[in-house]
Amino acid sequence: MRPRSYGAAAAALHNLDMRCLGPRRFYKATRASVPALLIFCAVSNTARGDWVVATAASVSHDDNVGDARDYSDRVSDFSASGTLSMLRLIPVGESYSLIAGGDLSGQLYDHLSGLRNASIDGLLSLKKKWGLGAFAAWSRAQVSVARSDYEDSYRDVTIYRASVEMGKRIDERWNLAVKYAFERRAAAPGAPEIYGVSSDAFSQTGRSFTANAQYALSDRLSLALGSLLRHGDVVSTTLSEGQYYPFAVLKAAAPDPAFGSEAYAYRLDGTTYAVRLGADYSLTDHSLIGGGFQRFETHARGGNNYSNSVPQLTWKYQF
Amino acid sequence: MLENFIATISLVLFSAAVHAAEIHAVVKDQKGKAVADAVILVIPADPRNALHARAPAAAVDQVDKQFVPYVKPIFVGSTIRFPNSDNIRHQVYSFSPAKKFELPLYSGTDAPPVMFGKPGVVVLGCNIHDWMIGYIYVSETPFFAKTGPLGTAVINDLPAGEYTVRIWHPSMDRAEESTNQHLILTADTPGLAEWQIGLKPNIRVPRVSGAATATYP
Repeated sequence: MRPRSYGAAAAALHNLDMRCLGPRRFYKATRASVPALLIFCAVSNTARGDWVVATAASVSHDDNVGDARDYSDRVSDFSASGTLSMLRLIPVGESYSLIAGGDLSGQLYDHLSGLRNASIDGLLSLKKKWGLGAFAAWSRAQVSVARSDYEDSYRDVTIYRASVEMGKRIDERWNLAVKYAFERRAAAPGAPEIYGVSSDAFSQTGRSFTANAQYALSDRLSLALGSLLRHGDVVSTTLSEGQYYPFAVLKAAAPDPAFGSEAYAYRLDGTTYAVRLGADYSLTDHSLIGGGFQRFETHARGGNNYSNSVPQLTWKYQF
Repeated sequence: MLENFIATISLVLFSAAVHAAEIHAVVKDQKGKAVADAVILVIPADPRNALHARAPAAAVDQVDKQFVPYVKPIFVGSTIRFPNSDNIRHQVYSFSPAKKFELPLYSGTDAPPVMFGKPGVVVLGCNIHDWMIGYIYVSETPFFAKTGPLGTAVINDLPAGEYTVRIWHPSMDRAEESTNQHLILTADTPGLAEWQIGLKPNIRVPRVSGAATATYP
């Protein structure tokens, strides 16, 4: 699967998602959130910072949700997702800001019900501005821990991320940023089904580099161009069990019933290239709607090359 | 003696009242819509008419992470306080040649007042909230006003005489000198000044980031 952190989705559908996931899923997500909330509250009371509360919702379509190589294995689906973010921005001295907080998010799929998931994410970041004013260059280091619970629980995963980011607003129109990130997704593997091959197909490690540019066409409309280069584990799902890849390149394999009773997921080494084109329109000072199109091309070992096209509509409100 | 003095003072005051004139100003954009936050400047041809002008203290507040008011005209030499009505800290600064200053992180009314001794436009920002922007217009003339939501303003208590009036707006697409109009004011008839100006797109740092850029401030 592609990293969820890229083109991250959003969330007024959170409550709806909670109902659809059922009480057990909701309980698990809530239980996982308690330590994060305690840390969050402790940090937020230490200084006179300001709250940044945002909510977002998005709908998207992925023409290859399972990242399948063969056309016959490709499954497309619509998804709707929602995010509620609560962050505490605490200025530390004249140049530094500490940001602590977290996200609650959920994602619904139209057909692939096993991929429905609820997530909680806690983050801590330190931002430095290299000067005074809106056009000063800035850099940020961030760590986060997230827990995602899926309807099909074999996909449940804890996600650890660390990133460094730099950016600069050139003028009122141009805004540039680059980011290097490390991500570790830790899942609980089931019993091995293929002799000599790990069943830990849904644990992944990856490193990515992203570059984003935004250009304001007018006081309300801006265009965005983003690119991604990621290297690390990829998971590709086929709809039927079979010997798709040589053992030499296979890192893990496991059943993936979210895509069907015969579906199998394979973890391989791969490199993903992606571009995103988007436009955002500010409805008010506090809200925007955006449309974007992402194209992913992945080249994995064993000749497993696949692509995805993901159009997305997003609404975001920041209090 | 005392009676003569009182009579003289009364005459002077009465004359001043009789000769007080006013200007009604209207500012519209290229589509005929009212332009708010335009500064109307009234420059007397006779500099003596601007004598004895005072430079009162004023304030620019910070409310909901915005400068309030967005545009503040003041007379040169005035001091401005920057109270912070938000329950968070702000760090106000300006790089403008007319006044460079920085108020380190503060909350409430802790910041010392700032004196503006040089005419010109001062652009305000907050180093914590990049989208915050405000303008202080430091005027050489003591006679000025700012248009409201209807694009109108009234400048009164002007001594009768000859004046140049012009306007300034943060988004105006031309130099303020090009908006000069000449008026001769009498006490009987208010002067009327109208402008139709082009406004550039007001491109500002957005408060809400888009999906393809950094999510957090």
